[in-house]
Amino acid sequence: MSESFPTVYVVDDDPDVVKGIERLLQSAGLEVATFQSCEQFLEHHDQNAPGCLVLDLALPGLTGLQLQRALEHQGSVLPIVFLTGRGDIATSVQAMKHGAADFLTKPVDDAELIAAIHKALATDAARRRARGEQARVAKCLAALTERERQVLEQIVAGRLNKQIATELGTAVKTIKFHRANLMRKMGVRVVAELVRMAERAGVGSTPRT
Amino acid sequence: MAAASLTLGVIHLIVWVKQRLQYAHLLFFTLAISAAVFGAFELAMMQEQSPAGYAATARWSHVPLAILILSIVWFVYFYFDAGRLWLAYAACSLRLLALGLNFATGVNINSHDVSSLDPVTLWGGVVVSVPVGAPNPWVLVAQIGNCFLIAFVIDASITLWRRGTSEAHRRAALVGGSLVLCIAVVGAFAASVDWGRVHAPTIVMPGIFLVVLAMGYELGWDLIAAAQLAAQLRVNEQRLRAVVESVPSAILLVDDKGMITLANAQAETVFGYQRAELIAMPVEMLIPERLRTSHAGFRQAYAKDARARTMGTGAELFARRKDGAEIPVEAGLSPMPTVAGSLVLVSLIDVTRRRQIELATARQRDELAHLSRVATLGELAGSLAHELNQPLTAILSNAQAAQRFLAHSPPRFDKLAEILTDIVNNDRRAGAVIHRLRSLLRKEETQRHPLDINDVVEEALRLIRSDLLNRRVLISTDLAEALPAVSGDRNQLQQVLLNVVMNGCDAMDDREVQRHLLVRTRATGRGNVEVAVVDSGAGIPSADLERIFEPFVTTKSQGLGLGLTICRSIVEAHGGCLWATNNVDRGATLHCELPINRTNGDE
Repeated sequence: MSESFPTVYVVDDDPDVVKGIERLLQSAGLEVATFQSCEQFLEHHDQNAPGCLVLDLALPGLTGLQLQRALEHQGSVLPIVFLTGRGDIATSVQAMKHGAADFLTKPVDDAELIAAIHKALATDAARRRARGEQARVAKCLAALTERERQVLEQIVAGRLNKQIATELGTAVKTIKFHRANLMRKMGVRVVAELVRMAERAGVGSTPRT
Repeated sequence: MAAASLTLGVIHLIVWVKQRLQYAHLLFFTLAISAAVFGAFELAMMQEQSPAGYAATARWSHVPLAILILSIVWFVYFYFDAGRLWLAYAACSLRLLALGLNFATGVNINSHDVSSLDPVTLWGGVVVSVPVGAPNPWVLVAQIGNCFLIAFVIDASITLWRRGTSEAHRRAALVGGSLVLCIAVVGAFAASVDWGRVHAPTIVMPGIFLVVLAMGYELGWDLIAAAQLAAQLRVNEQRLRAVVESVPSAILLVDDKGMITLANAQAETVFGYQRAELIAMPVEMLIPERLRTSHAGFRQAYAKDARARTMGTGAELFARRKDGAEIPVEAGLSPMPTVAGSLVLVSLIDVTRRRQIELATARQRDELAHLSRVATLGELAGSLAHELNQPLTAILSNAQAAQRFLAHSPPRFDKLAEILTDIVNNDRRAGAVIHRLRSLLRKEETQRHPLDINDVVEEALRLIRSDLLNRRVLISTDLAEALPAVSGDRNQLQQVLLNVVMNGCDAMDDREVQRHLLVRTRATGRGNVEVAVVDSGAGIPSADLERIFEPFVTTKSQGLGLGLTICRSIVEAHGGCLWATNNVDRGATLHCELPINRTNGDE
């Protein structure tokens, strides 16, 4: 999982090119896995493994753009550096619109490629961290009781204890009790922190029934 | 009469001297002369006064008579070209026997003895001597000989008559008839005198003279006919000469020793020799030196199996001009058997012009093919750039990886060997693309080499690979193993393949279904090699299967519609053919059939 070392996945149908890129990246101390087709990559890919993808555009079978789309559908966060022999503007725009990390043309300079890869790996790490945070918040939220969740929503909406008590038809004392409980469960000490967390988890935006 | 006979005889002696083979003239000469001499003896006999003198003169008169009869026999034999030899021999030997008996028995063959001479008055009051005495019984030998003579002449005349020509009829009737009549009458008359039935002098000469006249007339006819024939021959020869001179080919008549005996004006033009130089020149002088020795052998082989035939249409045939220049020719040979030996009539055409035109056409085709090739490569520029880009990418990455490995501390030398190997290989790969490209772009004359068609296919597909990938065309190959080599120009055949494959891709462009292109090679039943490009496009309307090869027929928005036209002309120049068929399921197939290489090694 996130603690494993990130891998650079290289997909190109030309074995000579694959071998060259692999060596270059290895010389830069990167972990590399190579594939000669998009199908082969999809077969072996573990979504949870960190890394980035160096992808050729024109491939027999599934093309680079099609693979990008497929990963998107799977909810993958893997950043893609396109590396192509002849990228036209239309294709590169397409690729960038769908979140490509970079778009490089062959033959590529080592510094440029390695920089792009490091950037993509950083993006991947950030995305995975954000994902980890989200998961933690979601877990905390899941631990709340129905009442505590209702109170949380009121707090995020900026209501005072008194207003919340009136809204929920209960005593201010009871609200205070719930409030202390949920603060503890969410692992925060100040309200501002709670609000930020709840917002990131999308609690405030859920429409009330 | 004797004088006339002499004159006629001498004329024919002259004729015979000019034409030694014409024995009839010689025999007529001896015939006429002996007739004249015999006439003289006859005259002397009639004027003889003593019985002994008469007997002696008569005895000697048999010498010219014998010569006369022998001459008649052999004249008829040669002149009629007929008659039974045994009859001729019988008549001759009996006559020679009679001549011997003439001197051996009695006073002569006619009389046993001459007791007295009896003067007899002839018409006109001329008094001549007639012998009185016993007849010589041996005269029978001469008379039997005369019968054989008559039999021989009749037989020869009948044979001649049966030949059926009017000339044969006339000759048989006139010469044969007069001879038979004369010999019969004269012989009967002489026999009657000899046996004492008729008391008259033996006057034989007038009858013989008539025969001589008839023969002379007939021979004269021959002389006239010969003169007419000669005139006719001259006309014919002039006509023939005019024909030979006006023929647009060079004509040579070559004898069995290889000497030229006749040449026409065109031969002077073609070979640059004067006619006088050509005549009696060995025909090998007109053959390039390097081929001379083998030609003499060919000539002798031809003499053994002489048939009219044409040469130089298949293989290249060269002749040598006086100035040493070699010219391509086509030659026809016809044997001409003649009495003077077998001649060969050679007619030659200088095909320099034709070869030049063929060459110019080929050059134009090459040029057009080159233009089309350049255009094709222009279309493929993207694909070709990609084909170069891949190895360049690999080289750059490998080289920079090496730099980085060296910058490590400590430097990692262990990776260098394989990195360098890969760099070298990729450089070669890029070099091969450039080499192929340069070769395709170069404008050069068609060169034929033995080629493995599978190599040509694989090379072409390598060039176009990226383009196919870009157009989402899945290409597969089905290449037969151990195919015989074809003889061809690598660049041009590759151009054909590129064009045909690109056409197949174009045919599938607007189809969403699986775009699949198959390139197949195989040996055909006809001993050729076929490359088929099978697409899975919409197919070709059956009316257009041939039309697509016509110039300026195109279904594409861009392009001149010359691609397939040029492809077909290239394939046909290779002796092959290019055609299209529709597949049973979908799409079309372009077939390119090429003859296999029949030369040994490189040419």
